[in-house]
Amino acid sequence: MTRHLLALALFAALFAWHSQAEYYGFELLAEIAVFAILAMSLDLLAGYGGMVSLGHAALFGLGAYLYSWLGSDMVGLSAPLAILGAAFGTGVIALAVGAVAVRVEGIFFIMITLGFGQMGHEFFFQNKALGGDDGLFGIQRLDLSGIGIDLSDPGSFALAALVSAALVYVLLAWVLATPFGAVLKGLHANPNRLRALGLRVLTYRAAAFAFSGTVAGFAGSISAQHTQFITPHLLNWTTSGEVLIMVILGGLGTLVGPVVGAVVLVLLRHELSSITDYWGAIMGGFLILVVLSRQNGLVGLVERLLPGRRG
Amino acid sequence: MLTDPSFWLVQGLNSLQLAMLLFLLSVGLTVIFGLMNFVNLAHGSLYALGALIGYSIAEASGSVFLAFLLAPLAVTAVGALLYITLIERLRSAGPLPQVLVTFGLIFVLMDAQRYLWGSDALGVTGDVPFSGTIHIGSEPYPAYRLFIIAVGIAVFAGLYLLLNRTRLGAEVRAGVDDAETAAALGVNVERTFFLVFLLGCGLAGLAGAVAMPAFSAEAGMGVEILVPTLVVVVVGGLGSLSGAFVGSLVIGVTLTFGTALFPDFAGIAMYAALVAVLLLRPQGLLPARS
Amino acid sequence: MKRTLIATSIAALLALPASAAEYKVGVLLPFSGVYAGLGAHIENGFKLGLEHFGDKLGTDTITMLRDDTEANPGATLAKAKKMVLADKADVLTGIVSSAVLGGLRDFVHSSKTPLVVSNAGNDAATGERCSPYITRVSFSNGSITRVMGPWLAEQGVKTAYLMAPDYAAGHQMMDAFRATFEAAGGKVIGEAYPPLKGTKDYGPYISKAKASGAEALMTFFAGGAAINFVKQYAEFGAAKDLPLYGAGFLTSAAYVHVQGAAADGVIASLHYVPTIDNAENKRFQEGYQAAYEGKLGSEFAVAGYDSARLIIEAIAAAGGDKAKFKGELAKVSFNGPRGPLKIDPATHNVIQNMYIFRNEFADGKVTQNVLATIEGVQDEVNGCKM
Repeated sequence: MTRHLLALALFAALFAWHSQAEYYGFELLAEIAVFAILAMSLDLLAGYGGMVSLGHAALFGLGAYLYSWLGSDMVGLSAPLAILGAAFGTGVIALAVGAVAVRVEGIFFIMITLGFGQMGHEFFFQNKALGGDDGLFGIQRLDLSGIGIDLSDPGSFALAALVSAALVYVLLAWVLATPFGAVLKGLHANPNRLRALGLRVLTYRAAAFAFSGTVAGFAGSISAQHTQFITPHLLNWTTSGEVLIMVILGGLGTLVGPVVGAVVLVLLRHELSSITDYWGAIMGGFLILVVLSRQNGLVGLVERLLPGRRG
Repeated sequence: MLTDPSFWLVQGLNSLQLAMLLFLLSVGLTVIFGLMNFVNLAHGSLYALGALIGYSIAEASGSVFLAFLLAPLAVTAVGALLYITLIERLRSAGPLPQVLVTFGLIFVLMDAQRYLWGSDALGVTGDVPFSGTIHIGSEPYPAYRLFIIAVGIAVFAGLYLLLNRTRLGAEVRAGVDDAETAAALGVNVERTFFLVFLLGCGLAGLAGAVAMPAFSAEAGMGVEILVPTLVVVVVGGLGSLSGAFVGSLVIGVTLTFGTALFPDFAGIAMYAALVAVLLLRPQGLLPARS
Repeated sequence: MKRTLIATSIAALLALPASAAEYKVGVLLPFSGVYAGLGAHIENGFKLGLEHFGDKLGTDTITMLRDDTEANPGATLAKAKKMVLADKADVLTGIVSSAVLGGLRDFVHSSKTPLVVSNAGNDAATGERCSPYITRVSFSNGSITRVMGPWLAEQGVKTAYLMAPDYAAGHQMMDAFRATFEAAGGKVIGEAYPPLKGTKDYGPYISKAKASGAEALMTFFAGGAAINFVKQYAEFGAAKDLPLYGAGFLTSAAYVHVQGAAADGVIASLHYVPTIDNAENKRFQEGYQAAYEGKLGSEFAVAGYDSARLIIEAIAAAGGDKAKFKGELAKVSFNGPRGPLKIDPATHNVIQNMYIFRNEFADGKVTQNVLATIEGVQDEVNGCKM
């Protein structure tokens, strides 16, 4: 409950910032929203399901490319259908990859997701029809002018992205409260017990991977609409690493932690990099300090400082 | 081309050369994993450090051999510092925090290298031993590559003896097999961990120093080499010396012949090999523990 | 006569207060990541340019903002938006990676922000994706290698093997060469495109190219890849049977000293070499080497230097009128370190000389011996509509 209250406060703060923000603030907020969704989807997999992936950015990038491809002249779907297509198309591919990848665990899972992710990166890097390494441009945004919202306006777009992130938080919190969520947590904590109960562990792990991939694909479709330009860089393992840092910095398996992580990392990245060329070292040092503190990220730290409950 | 025996000979040597470089890197990583159950993601950064320190020593002294000797020692010292300040503190916290600390270290070490050596690619301007071309049959071939192959094989032989003929080796094998039992039998496991970690760092430094004259040195080269090294470790089987050797050969051959024979798939050959091994033999080709 | 004179002086007097305009220049370069080396060269050149030509500003002033692009299009777009929207930059400059340029294009175009490109060579940026707000002082990929085709054919070379990293710039460089080489009667008998990232060992590729029996190897590599490639090429003793040619980045002044003897005899084409003999280049090299520990000014540094000069000349020409400044950028022309330079009104790409040069190693130093100068190299319009 504390965590949901924390999430409520955090989203309230982001919306409050939005009401005060100008152009550049809108850009930051949209970026935060995109990464918050992506990091939450990774938390579902890594924090709750115990499957730490270094290929998550590939699913994110896949969603971005699917959205752009489906909405382009090559296919010509309307934007709402392209968003659905991006999310569920990514989910289907994640299911296929997951069915294979979940057979291994721990460091092996990290490596196999890295392998699949890099193959995806290579596919888009080489694919001339999709722009190769120069990327795709001229991507359309969802048209909500029918209900009086102009998403080409940065403020409206940032607001829509924030609302999406808040809805994803609610959706994931709900999923975690369902029996499926209970099994997911059990997969991590005690897989043998689930096996003894007659549950097909691998099926559940694959399902979790596919669901997480669907949400990552959705994040990709928003990212493509935000920058209106995408490159294979989105799929690279270094992007996966950044998202993993967000999750860990915020607090693994807390759902609100990834949102905290996204806020902190996006802000740090932009503010530090205009001050010093060595911002990478500061971010890395920050990560080390958080790990050395032996708390579960910033959320763990906050929970410890709050009286009463301990996380 | 395919019927030309010199094609197979030259590409075979190219495979071997790449494999030995990967072996020098992956062997430290894999034994650290086998013993301490965590992956040192900053291992590639130590390799870069070896190359950069080696460059500075070679430029200052004019002797590349001195660089081969001193750079690994310097990297070992850095490794000792990292172990005492960071990794030892997290011994009881489990593998994930240790991996994450080394992930953070990647960024710190990379920026430290940029700060100290700048961003340009650096190469020794003085004389490099074995820099000439020798002829194998009628084919000219760089002698330095044969030197890298020789260093790799010598290190493999040395480690094999160390592991199988010395007390430290026996302790390491016992620790990899079952750390708790080893400790109960009076092995100072923490000390063994520390020594193995240092040895791994030293070998990463040696790999960097030996690679530097052939491939130049630059901040950031550690991140590039990290992924192939991890792939070798997983393909070979975690924690095993011969696994690292075999894994290096498999990846060296895959990359070299993959690029020569199927250039369109050069970019994914390594990852395809990784996924295939993980699916058919998830424990790797020659794991230390069955 | 007298009356006009008075009128002009009154106009000049009236114009005085308005002419003290403050310009903010947003420098977007990679200061971390794979291109950080190039970023440093361009920034050094840019600062030297501000120093050398700053007196032309008169009462106008320039404030420099800077931010790190890495090689990350998404992050750069956000930073460019910050510079323009929050910090009110009047002009952006820099940009090394073509993907980063592609990501910025729509933003600078729709926000009408002038962008002076000081590296990224993507042909489309001054072709079908051109913009009146984008001016490029560096080069287009195709223009570098296009001049090599006819020249090689003239030297009697009939067959060539192509090699470049497998990404857009690599293919553009090779395609441009192929077109002119084949038009001049040459024949491309093989090609290879090693992966851009992770290729450290060119041995397999070099062995294969040698086996092809071509008379020339035409390449494009840059940075660390170029150092490794040239060194390994020499180690394999390949230069004897298969002479090495390339886009001049292969033996850039930024790192040719590292290649040393291995670069000896390599022939390449580029828009700048440090040995160009003119007063502007002498001033540039002397200033650069004095300021940066005796390092040679590279073509990257020259691009930064000329970007600064272009911006300053446009500011001077605008006479304090910021609205006018945007239109002045593409009208600037001058004689710089690389010789005469002007901007093509049809594409806003640079028109400049190309130098075909041979690297010569003697006394531990590599010098560039210019074999031919191709003047006023200009791109086709390539679908650009301003």
